[in-house]
Amino acid sequence: MGRAVRAETIVLWLCLAVVAIAGLAPIAVMVFESVWHDGHFSLNHYRELISAARFWPLFGNSVRLALATTTVCGLIGVPAGILFAKSDLPLRSGLMWLLTVPFVLPPYFIALGWSRVVARVGATTAEWLFGFGGCVLVLSSVFLPIIMLLTFASVSNVDGRLEEAGRLAFGWPAVLRRITLPLSAPGIAFSLVLVFLLAIGELSVPSFLRYPVLPVLSFTQFAASYNFGAATAAAVPLAALALLGVLIESALLQNRVFTFRSIGRGLLISLGRWNPIAAAIFGLLTVALVIFPLSALFADAFSLTTLHDAMQRAGASIVRSVIYSAIAATILMALGFLLAQLTRDRGQRLVNFLTLALFAIPGTVLSIGLVRLWNSPMTWFIYTTPALLILGYTAQYCAVTTRLSLAGFFLIPKTFDEAARLSGASWTQRLFRIFVPLSNRTLVCAWLAAYILCLRDVPIALMTASPGGDPLPARILTLMANGAPPMIASLCLIMAIASLIPLVILARVIPSRGITG
Amino acid sequence: MSYIEVDRVSKSFGERVVVNQLSLHIERSERLVLFGPSGCGKTTLLRLLAGLEIPDQGSIQIDGRLVANVGENFVPPEKRDLGMVFQDLALWPHMTVQENLTFGLNARRVRKHEAKARVREMLYRVGLEHRMDAKPHQLSGGEQQRVALARALVPRPSILLMDEPLSSLDDERKRAIASDLLSLQSQLAFTLIYVTHDRAETDLLASRVCQMRDGSVA
Repeated sequence: MGRAVRAETIVLWLCLAVVAIAGLAPIAVMVFESVWHDGHFSLNHYRELISAARFWPLFGNSVRLALATTTVCGLIGVPAGILFAKSDLPLRSGLMWLLTVPFVLPPYFIALGWSRVVARVGATTAEWLFGFGGCVLVLSSVFLPIIMLLTFASVSNVDGRLEEAGRLAFGWPAVLRRITLPLSAPGIAFSLVLVFLLAIGELSVPSFLRYPVLPVLSFTQFAASYNFGAATAAAVPLAALALLGVLIESALLQNRVFTFRSIGRGLLISLGRWNPIAAAIFGLLTVALVIFPLSALFADAFSLTTLHDAMQRAGASIVRSVIYSAIAATILMALGFLLAQLTRDRGQRLVNFLTLALFAIPGTVLSIGLVRLWNSPMTWFIYTTPALLILGYTAQYCAVTTRLSLAGFFLIPKTFDEAARLSGASWTQRLFRIFVPLSNRTLVCAWLAAYILCLRDVPIALMTASPGGDPLPARILTLMANGAPPMIASLCLIMAIASLIPLVILARVIPSRGITG
Repeated sequence: MSYIEVDRVSKSFGERVVVNQLSLHIERSERLVLFGPSGCGKTTLLRLLAGLEIPDQGSIQIDGRLVANVGENFVPPEKRDLGMVFQDLALWPHMTVQENLTFGLNARRVRKHEAKARVREMLYRVGLEHRMDAKPHQLSGGEQQRVALARALVPRPSILLMDEPLSSLDDERKRAIASDLLSLQSQLAFTLIYVTHDRAETDLLASRVCQMRDGSVA
C-alpha cells in the first residue's frame, strides 16, 4: 500500500511502544522481581505475605471498603444519573457539576474537610470518621461522580425513538424499567466495576483516616522499609484484581464506546409532585457530600497571611503540578488521539484492554513498577527527573484520552475519511486536514480531562516524584504532618482552584445537547 | 480486454456473503448502472472497485492493471485514479466549497494557481462558482449534490463511482442533476458506475444496466 500505510504502522508501533515503556514494562518487571529472588525462581515473598497474620485482615478490609463504597455510590449515583439525564428535576445540570467536584480534587481533600468538621464538633465523632465509616463516606463522595456520569452517559445513549415507541404503550416507569435500564445496564455495571477497582486501590484516604488496607501496606513496605519484594508481593493481588475487573468490563461492554450525542431526548421522567422532594434530596446530598466538607476545609484558607505562607512553603510545588500535568495532558491527548485513530478499524479491543488495565491498576502498584524499572545508574536521566512522573501519568490515564478520542471518532462519518482517501490524501494529510479539525472539541475535552486527572493524582506523585520535585498533592500530604491547618487549608484552596478552572472550561466546552466521551 | 474487469469476486462480512463470485466487464466511457434491491451487494461492489474493501476471492483489473487480488489490495484507493460520490455526500463540514474541491488537488500536488483555475472551472460547470466560499451546511440539498459531484471530478479521474447520491432529492432536482451529470460525462469522457435501486434514475443515466440480486449479477 505504499508509503502512507508505512507511516501509519510506524506511528502505531511508536504509540504502543510508549504504552509499553510507560506501563507494561514496569508491571512486568515488578511481577518478575516478586518471583525472582537471588537469581532463582521463588515464591518466598508471597509465602511470607500470605502467612503474615496481617495480610488477610488487610485484604478483607480492602475488599469490604471497596464493596461498601461501590454499594453507596451505586445507590445514589444510578438514580442521580438517570434523573439528571431524563427528568425535569430543576437545577439538574448545576447539581451534577457540583457533585462532580470531589472527583477532580485529590481524594484526601474531602477527608481533610471532614476532619476539620470533627475537630470543631468534638472527639466522639472522630472515632466514627477515623475508620471504616469515614472511609466509606469520603470515598463515596469522591467516586460517586463516576457512576453518576457513566449512568448519565449510558441512559443518554439509548436511542430516544425506542423510548418514544415504548411511551405509546406504557408510562415512564415501565419504559425506564423495560427499555432504558436494560439497554444501559452494561454501562452502569461497568461504572460499578470501575468504582470497585478505584476504591480497592485507594491509598491516601485510608492512610489519612487510619484504616488499614492493602495499598497502605504496599506503600509502607516501599517507602518506609525499602522492601521492594514485599511491597511488590502486596501489590500483586491488587494488580490481579484490576485485571479481573478489566476482563469483566470487556465481557460487559464488549468495548462499546460511549458517544454522548443528541438523538432526541426520548423518555422524559416527569416527577410531578415529587419534583420538590427530589430536588430537596439531591440538594441536601450536594450539601452533605460536597459543600459541607469543602466549606469546612476552606474556612480558614482565605486569610492573606496564610495564603502568603502557603505560597512560600509550596509555591514551587504549585508551579510544578501545573507544568507536569500540562505536559502529561498534552502527551496523553496526542497518544490517545493517535491510538484511537489508528485502531478505529482494527486492534481496538487490544488497545482498550491494555489501557484500561493500566487505568485500573492502583497508582501504588504502577509506581513501584516504575521505580523498579528505572532505578539504575544507566537510566537515572529518567529516574531522577520529572520524566518518571510523567511516564506514570501517561500509563495510568491513557485509557481516558483513548476512549474519549474513540468516542469522538465515532461521531465523524467514515465516508469523510474515505472521500479524503479517494481524493489522493495520505494518512498524515487526512489526520491533520480532516480528523484534527473535526475533533477539536474532543481534543480539548481529552486534554482537560487528562490535566485534571494528573493534577489530582496522589500515589504516582507521592512515589515517583524526584527528591525536591514533588507536585502539590504530594507536598500537601507531606506538610499535613507538621503544617499549620490554616496554611494547609490555603494550599488546598489553591489546588482546588487549579483543578476547578479546567472543570468549568469543560462544562462550557461540552454543550448541553451533545458531548463526546 | 475490457477497461474494468471484475473476475469472480466474493466478499463476506462475518457469515454473510454480500458479493458472491461476481464477474463483470465494463468498457471505457461507459455509463453502467448497477441496479437492484437494498442489500443485494451493489454498494459493496462499488467499494471493492474503489479499494475501500478488499475482496476475499477473485481479482479486479483496471485499465490492464491488477488492482486487487484474493485478500489483498495492490493499489490503494488514493492511487486508483477514480472519484466517488457517496450516498451521504461526505462533504467536509469544516471546509468551504472551494477548500473541499482543492483538497484532492493539494494531495496530488497540483500547483496552486492551476488548482485554483481547475476548481473555478469545475464550479462553473456545475453552476456554483458564486458559492465557493460557502460551507456545506449553508447550501441547499441540490447544491450539496453538485459540490460532491464537482469534488469527485476536479482531479479528473478516469472513473466516477456514484452510490445512490440522488436518493434524497425530489424528481425535478434529480432530473436536473442527472442532466448535468450526462453533460459532464460527455465532456470529460469518464467511465460512470452508478448504483441505485430507483428505476427512474436508471432510465435517466444508463447506457447499460446491470441487474444485481443476492450478491451476483442476475
